[in-house]
Amino acid sequence: MEYRSNRKLLVLFSLLALLLLSVGGAAAQDPVTITWWTLASAESPEPAIRAVVEAFEAEHPNIKVDVTIMAESAYGDLMNTALGAGEGAPDIAYFWESPWLPHTLDITDRLEADPDLSRDDYFEEYFNNWATWNDRVVGLPFTVGANFVMYNKDVFDEAGVDYPTADWTPWDYIEIAKALTDPDKRRWGGDRPRGPFRAIWRNIGATKPYSDDSATVEGYFNGPDSVAAYTWLWDLVDSGATPTPADIEVLGTEGTGPVDLFIAGRLGMATLNNGHMITAANAGVNFGVVPEPHVPGNERYVHAWALRASIWAGTEHPDEAYEFLSFWAGPEGQRINMEIGALMPSLPAVLEDYPDADSDYFQGFMGVLNGTQTAEWRASHPCWRGAVIRAVSDAWDLIMLGEIERDEVQATLDALVEPAQAALDDCVPRLGG
Amino acid sequence: MLSHWRKMTTQERRDAKTGYLALSPWMLGFAVFYAFPILATFYFSFTQWTLVEPPVWIGLDNYIRMFTRDPLFVSSLKATTLFVALSLPLKLVLGLILALLLNLKIPGMNLYRTIFFVPAVISGVAVSLMWIWFLQPDTGVVNTLLSYIGVQGPYWFWDRDWALPSVAIMSIWKVGGAAIIYLAGLQNIPAHLYEAAKIDGANQWRRFWRITLPLLTPTLFFQLIIELIDAFKIFTEAFVITKGGPLKATYFFLYYFYEEAFRNFNMGYASALALFLLLVIMSATVFVYRTSGRWVFYEN
Repeated sequence: MEYRSNRKLLVLFSLLALLLLSVGGAAAQDPVTITWWTLASAESPEPAIRAVVEAFEAEHPNIKVDVTIMAESAYGDLMNTALGAGEGAPDIAYFWESPWLPHTLDITDRLEADPDLSRDDYFEEYFNNWATWNDRVVGLPFTVGANFVMYNKDVFDEAGVDYPTADWTPWDYIEIAKALTDPDKRRWGGDRPRGPFRAIWRNIGATKPYSDDSATVEGYFNGPDSVAAYTWLWDLVDSGATPTPADIEVLGTEGTGPVDLFIAGRLGMATLNNGHMITAANAGVNFGVVPEPHVPGNERYVHAWALRASIWAGTEHPDEAYEFLSFWAGPEGQRINMEIGALMPSLPAVLEDYPDADSDYFQGFMGVLNGTQTAEWRASHPCWRGAVIRAVSDAWDLIMLGEIERDEVQATLDALVEPAQAALDDCVPRLGG
Repeated sequence: MLSHWRKMTTQERRDAKTGYLALSPWMLGFAVFYAFPILATFYFSFTQWTLVEPPVWIGLDNYIRMFTRDPLFVSSLKATTLFVALSLPLKLVLGLILALLLNLKIPGMNLYRTIFFVPAVISGVAVSLMWIWFLQPDTGVVNTLLSYIGVQGPYWFWDRDWALPSVAIMSIWKVGGAAIIYLAGLQNIPAHLYEAAKIDGANQWRRFWRITLPLLTPTLFFQLIIELIDAFKIFTEAFVITKGGPLKATYFFLYYFYEEAFRNFNMGYASALALFLLLVIMSATVFVYRTSGRWVFYEN
């Protein structure tokens, strides 16, 4: 009897021990799953994304990454919905819209404590403009993009024109464009900017459409520097050395810049980006890269961008999310994307290993990356991109259509101060300055 | 309602339940996808809402702004109304002419009908891109053809006076869709009416004017309502081709709504704009409906 009772007790203890072991074991082994919304592109294609996840999970067996690769068109709507609802947002995503920034996790302390990654590892301007907000680190810059002028060496040689150098001015640009233009060959010397207050505007006189405190338009949008920049645009359009908007729209099938016209030798110079640069190189074009022109004595600006990879403030797994973020936007992740896709990493030490890094054009591109970015101003003024630029777009259109005379530029800008101020006053209380 | 239910027989009640049950999927869909969003839009129109932050109640501010200090509201409404005035008659008349041609008894007609209908089902974005090529001032097909007869074509989408008419001209691309509806109406007209008219010596024009057109008015009425609503919703062409320009000549109401909602994160104001557009479309529809008694003829 006693034996049977002891046996029962033993079985009971054994079962209990097994149960405890299995529960404890499961708790120790169950990986944490973090969610990630991302986009695939030529620079960062799906195989590269999957390869990064695989490499990360191999290195971190306790963390699983649930990746959703989205279409860009749907991404914004889904982010808006999830952030607006306060639930359902992914642990990690690109937070590229200004109103999304308050929903990012502050990773300042985590980055400072990270033994493997530091803000100094990144291009300084890219880190400052795309990873920080209100003195907080809100993400890591993934990839680098910039605009610069690409010039077709064969077209220059044929026209007997010297190649542009980094010290050229906006007025040199017009003169060179005129010299390269050849109507018989249906060739224009250079293209025209795609919007005001980008690099050329700032290079002419640090021009801004309104004051830094987002309070005043008068004296900025219609100030002497802005008038000089718009007058420069008028001169360029009037020169006949640049395609009309209709030409660009139809003949330039790439929406971000007329790279196809450039490759075809129908544009001597064009303000393009690093993606276009690789396309032109692959097409065998003999070209060089030079920064956008500026006025000597003024600071040189570059129109540049990066993707801001961030952690959602509402994440339940901040530590694991940071582990993945620092892998994806750190040296390992960006290198995998560079090797599988065509990503240009935001880390100089990794970018130096880019396949064409030794070429002249790539060196020219590297020289652009340390320039002061227009984003310093533009990114901190969300109202500019929507409300204010719409209010002042008539000045741009009137010049593009050749509907005003050169001496009417000032009056045209003066007339738009009031609607621009109204747009600013309406927008700032909603989105901030 | 309750007393009516009580007066019903058991069989009638059973039939009614079955009917409501059959209706319920549609009613549920209507409640979730139409009624609720419309009510929500009504609420949001009284708020300031950036989408990612909670909405803040601001009372009538959005409406006050809309009616008192928003020049874009007025100009976008004007551009949209002008577009409706230009494109609507164009589509109705050309659709009818095309339907009359497609109603002829000639070999291969089914092929023609298919060819003319296909553009109606092609994506608006693809059509817009194609029209950019058609109307390119220097190398486009239209200006090249015009140059053969010594006419210097305009700058179309890139000219402030021609941009809006260009978008209206573009809308005839989809006229095949309207023609198919007219065609159905034409084929419903009894043949004996034409035979009798012929015997009475009516020529082709009189037969069209006295028989075809009056008996086609129900179809015309339907088309007018549908095309009217569609014209007020003009968006894709402005979004893809003109971006509202040049000089806001094609800054249509729905494009303005889109920019406010998704570029300016001004969802509260965009909701007020959406409700206003709903009201305009509803008023125009009611007006057409009220006048229909004077010009729509039904055979019976």
